[in-house]
Amino acid sequence: MPSTSIAVRCNDPAVKTALESWLAALTLDAPAGLALDVAVTTAALTEPTPGETVFTQPDVRFTRGPGGRGVALFWEAAPAMAEVPAAQATAAVRLSPAAVERLELCTRTFLMVVLIMLLRRVRWYHLHAATAIDPQGRGWLIAGNAHAGKSTTAALLAASGWRVGTDDAAFLARGSNRIIVHTCRAPIALRDGGYRLLARQGGVDLPGRAKVGYWPEDLGGVWTPLVDPQIVIFTAVGEDRTTAQPLDRRGALTELVRWSAWVMLEPDVAQSHLDVLSGLTAQARTFRVRLGRDLFAQPNRLIELTT
Amino acid sequence: MSQRYQRHPDLRLADVEGDGVVLHLGTRRYFSVTESGLILMQALETPRSVADLVQLLLERYEVTQAEAETSIRQFLDTCRTAELLVVADEG
Repeated sequence: MPSTSIAVRCNDPAVKTALESWLAALTLDAPAGLALDVAVTTAALTEPTPGETVFTQPDVRFTRGPGGRGVALFWEAAPAMAEVPAAQATAAVRLSPAAVERLELCTRTFLMVVLIMLLRRVRWYHLHAATAIDPQGRGWLIAGNAHAGKSTTAALLAASGWRVGTDDAAFLARGSNRIIVHTCRAPIALRDGGYRLLARQGGVDLPGRAKVGYWPEDLGGVWTPLVDPQIVIFTAVGEDRTTAQPLDRRGALTELVRWSAWVMLEPDVAQSHLDVLSGLTAQARTFRVRLGRDLFAQPNRLIELTT
Repeated sequence: MSQRYQRHPDLRLADVEGDGVVLHLGTRRYFSVTESGLILMQALETPRSVADLVQLLLERYEVTQAEAETSIRQFLDTCRTAELLVVADEG
């Protein structure tokens, strides 16, 4: 089994093996010392009250962690809880037997969020963005919401010989003197519309997601775990013709805050997170891009529009 | 006695080439601010009276006393509406 830099401790050997496999498959080169401390338990897991909730996303509710610092998460799909204390490198996770029965869904929709919170303890900050490296070796971030064309663009670029890291989950971190971006290895997940537009055979159905997944290699590309971003684009799906509008640093930073919303979650690390986003605006050229159908014939038009 | 203001403890600031972006962790809202707005926000890390803020503008910009007072009044109104300030004490 491939190794992972994130340790798993668990009282259930089968769950431990499954979670180690999940982490290994992510191929996330995180700093050493992080751990998931997982207990499978039949004890009741108490749902937080609405008044305690400080943030929600589908099926996951966030509350303040112990002592008002850090975060606690509750998975609503089947009871599961996690605490990610401030300034600690271990997340304490409790899974009900019902959550274990749905472990694939649990890892994808709950434990992935726990992992995102845990990575904040080593100053890795999540951004909703695809990552790529163009044929000239320049790093790209493609940021936006779930319908902004990130995955279709990532697939298109992979099919055009770009190296692609992720279609959705980028982790920003300080390198020696630049902001760098780490990625998990996961298939590029296309909805039906993107799948039809890409018009490529193959791919695998992603269970429970109504999407088709492609590895960059399936499309003729190469996966890259690390990107040094020089160009950041904030995308929306347009009509026929792709257009790009330069953004100043202030505009770019407000966009980055929008797509890296966890910056608001924890007072202890908010300034560090904001400084990383700000650092990214200092090193990269930034654009607001409306993606048009012309990209399918000319993927490198993105380069023409931004140089 | 004049009121002194301080920026809300839930605020976080970023300086981007003179302009700024302000996050309010409590309301989960974010704002972009001009260079002068950022200077005032930075100054409000410690309690400041209206007179202190007016003086700051006079020192940094070529404006009249009346212009500075008007600008500070507008700035404070905007900040109060967005819950960006707290009253620190009566100076």
